[in-house]
Amino acid sequence: MFASAISKIRKVPGRWARRIVIVATVLVVGLAAGGYAIAKGSSGSTEFPQSAAIEAQYGVRFSRIAVVGDGGLVTLTYVVLDSERATRFQSDVQHPPELRSEKRDGGTKRVSVMKQGHTLRAGQTYYLVYQNTKGALQHSAKATILVGSLSLQHAPVL
Amino acid sequence: MKRLTIRRPLALLSAAAMIGASALIWSQAAASVAMSEGLLCDTDPNQTFSLTAEDGYVSTPDGNSIYMWSYGNSKRSFQLPGATLCVESGRPVTIVLHNTLPEATSIVFPGQKSVKANGNPAQPQFDSGGSLTSLVQPAAANDGSVTYTFTAGSPGTYLYETGTDVDKQLQMGMYGALVVRPAGHPNQVNDRADSAFTAGKEYVYLLSEIDPDVHLAVERNQPVNWAASTARYFMINGRSMPDTLAPNNAPWLPSQPYGALVHIKPYDAATNPLPATIRYLNAGSVNYPFHPHGSDERVINRDGHPLQGPAGQDLSYQKYDLDVGPGQTLDVLMDWRDTEQWNATTNPIPTQIPAITDQLLVGSDTWFSESGYLGTKNSVPANLTQNNECGEYYHIAHSHALEQATNYGAAFGGMMTVFRIDPPAGCASQ
Repeated sequence: MFASAISKIRKVPGRWARRIVIVATVLVVGLAAGGYAIAKGSSGSTEFPQSAAIEAQYGVRFSRIAVVGDGGLVTLTYVVLDSERATRFQSDVQHPPELRSEKRDGGTKRVSVMKQGHTLRAGQTYYLVYQNTKGALQHSAKATILVGSLSLQHAPVL
Repeated sequence: MKRLTIRRPLALLSAAAMIGASALIWSQAAASVAMSEGLLCDTDPNQTFSLTAEDGYVSTPDGNSIYMWSYGNSKRSFQLPGATLCVESGRPVTIVLHNTLPEATSIVFPGQKSVKANGNPAQPQFDSGGSLTSLVQPAAANDGSVTYTFTAGSPGTYLYETGTDVDKQLQMGMYGALVVRPAGHPNQVNDRADSAFTAGKEYVYLLSEIDPDVHLAVERNQPVNWAASTARYFMINGRSMPDTLAPNNAPWLPSQPYGALVHIKPYDAATNPLPATIRYLNAGSVNYPFHPHGSDERVINRDGHPLQGPAGQDLSYQKYDLDVGPGQTLDVLMDWRDTEQWNATTNPIPTQIPAITDQLLVGSDTWFSESGYLGTKNSVPANLTQNNECGEYYHIAHSHALEQATNYGAAFGGMMTVFRIDPPAGCASQ
């Protein structure tokens, strides 16, 4: 395809005109490719996967993982879908969700500064704060959320 | 000839790929550079700024999206709070306000003297019936503009805020911070040498509140029921906990660029002799009793003026609760001192540290790792959790009016953040 485009450009009359067309074509192709890569990368980094099984069992939809606290902490946010199940999930401090890095051998378990015992309202977002154990999670990486026997893979880390 | 025919398209393809890769690398580099910690200043060699009064949306940690008005840098998009402007004392400042809002708006600069608007003294405006319409000359609705000029006053921190329909526009977000630095001493809070702080360890805490019902009414162009107005969200720099912990320019908070994490190391006479500075401003309607756990802070400036006597006596004071009144600013110095020098081997804590279960604040969360020694960690029971990966301390700092430390009533949230104190050697894992 590229060779065919070059062959068409050769038919453009005038040496300088051809050169200008070639340079313009190279620029357009390059910028388009770069733009596509940027768009693909950015959409890939912001789309958060969903798990129907987790939502059915725990009544929550995880929505964001972010490295905060100058790299020392991680926040995990979730939207409440089912208030009763979500309240049980949030109160079960002995079986917290675990965040595992997909890039390195490491992860972190739940720490929370959200008070347990809330009546969680459906549709609202709540959060958990984690220690970022050994810097396990980093910006732009992917993580797996393990909760009970279920998992949610390829969650982007902001 | 055949070789040339193949090589030229290949060369051109390579050039295109390089351009594309460069665009990608440039984009990623720009994104990574954007995130940071500490004070983000707008500066200009001529101290001339262009602000645009505009509308936009902010997000709260409970998933709400709230319609706001604010003053953004005209070269950027909407942001809350308004752009933090940093200027030098004694030099002229020019601020051009462009107004895209559907009603007139303005800026007042409490603490600045001889402010002019379009070259005339800035002064209250009245309608033909003698009713006050604005505290200063406004920019007309829908693309009006006005230029304010003044000479930057005493070094310190000041609010800039709307002077038009103040109750409503202040609630809608029309405020920002003005940092005036002493001439020739960018790392001092005021002209006193004892106000010096560590370069880069400078923080602004602009405190505010939101009643979402007011914002919804304004968005829908409906009347505001002020009698029923109740603030539900409380913010530091336009963010509520846990968003306060996120870095500046966190990509998931595109309209709320300023973080609120203090990150320091212990005082050390040789290696870390200077404190950090925190500049508190209250853009809300009630007192915010801001309480940093773990260490007092030294109040050295109030409303942009040093706390000193007529002969320059130091009148600063230590405070564990910073009562920041509406419209007020306080500049403080803070450090963390290992006063007792506890050491597990040479100077052990002479008492038994209470069981971790006695130290839990709420639920099972703790910022303690069963060791009272900075930089040391012990194991914690399996059913408990802790947050300090390398034995660093995280001191909670929050409004002690505890309804202000919630996100629409859900604790904890709101006007809360943490101060992070690393061991002297730092955190190797981060």
